[in-house]
Amino acid sequence: MDDLKFRRQAYSDPHNQDPEFLKAAMGSPEHDAFLNDLRKLDNKIEQALKVDVPDDLAAKLLLKQQLQQHHSQRRKTGFAFALVASVAFLAGMTFTLLRMAPVDLSQHALAHVYHEDKALHIDEDVQFEQVNFQLASLTGNPSMRFTQQPGKVFYSTYCDFQGVQSLHLVMQGEQGKVTLFIVPLEDRLVLEEAFADNKYKGMGFATDNAYMLLVGEQKQDLNFVKNEIKQSFI
Amino acid sequence: MVSKQRRYDSLVRALHADIYRFAYWLCGDKHIAEDITQETFLRAWRSLDSLKDEKAAKAWLITILRRENARRFERKQFNYSDVEQEFIEDTFSGSTEEHAEQHLLRRQIAKLELEYREPLLLQVIGGFSGDEIASLLDLNRNTVMTRLFRARNQLKDVLEQPSHRGQSNG
Repeated sequence: MDDLKFRRQAYSDPHNQDPEFLKAAMGSPEHDAFLNDLRKLDNKIEQALKVDVPDDLAAKLLLKQQLQQHHSQRRKTGFAFALVASVAFLAGMTFTLLRMAPVDLSQHALAHVYHEDKALHIDEDVQFEQVNFQLASLTGNPSMRFTQQPGKVFYSTYCDFQGVQSLHLVMQGEQGKVTLFIVPLEDRLVLEEAFADNKYKGMGFATDNAYMLLVGEQKQDLNFVKNEIKQSFI
Repeated sequence: MVSKQRRYDSLVRALHADIYRFAYWLCGDKHIAEDITQETFLRAWRSLDSLKDEKAAKAWLITILRRENARRFERKQFNYSDVEQEFIEDTFSGSTEEHAEQHLLRRQIAKLELEYREPLLLQVIGGFSGDEIASLLDLNRNTVMTRLFRARNQLKDVLEQPSHRGQSNG
């Protein structure tokens, strides 16, 4: 290794561990002294570069990261909350829209009769004043009422016709019992005049303020109750 | 998550001093150096998963730091005269010969062109080899060695010419 190359390497890296370089350093006292000088300089440079580090820097770095972590977790929580809220909102909308879908009254009436089978075995001997009271609280319209007792009423209760509050009565027909649903008028309701399944027959008609749905086992029972209603209901 | 936190903790404890010093000598201001260090470690935290080998941590942090420092230049033009002021009031105690020499050396290091200063910082503070410095600075190795040569040469000259001392202290 020539002198110039040695000096260049010594300046570039006094702590060079390359064997050829070390050999060149030990090969001449001059080189050795030169390298020693540079190493001393390097120690000085190293000391000079060691400026004071703020005492609390490490603590600050950790704190900042913790805060950031906390912040991003809160952001995540916020996101999760927004997600849950969206889902809830969507569910609410879906439910509302479903409730606005057309309702087939006849099918629903039949299903309701089957579902509330017990209603046909109760005898509460309900007076028409009570039925009127229930009707009024249902519609807020006191003009929709019975003017007299429409035959015997076994049972009367509120029920839900796919979102429409209505009244569920069980009345005495000519022979058998007849279930009567009084459903306040609403656009989305679809009324059929006559319907039936294997067991029950049904009849539907509209008055000024409500749909009347009759469900019973015999056609003449239905007609009987229909007449009763026409005479007593305004 | 716990192990990520532990990795970060040990990274901070092991390397914050070197990173801060590197930042300080890069920008010449202790407050800015602290800011850059903060920003560097925050970024490191965010992408800690991309650090596969702990041995590469220092080089990785320095890469982040250099990017942060460059970003600072994009935001605002750097005022060089401010820097020198900072170096002067920050470091000089001047009570002994040794201190005076160190003060002089610090001033000279600060005055070095960045292209000479940066490889020197990487070599002395960072302990990186010529090849590593070359890849960090995206230079070839010969260029790095030449710059290191010139950097030391300039510093040596200053220390060996006492006449400079009067000027620089004056």
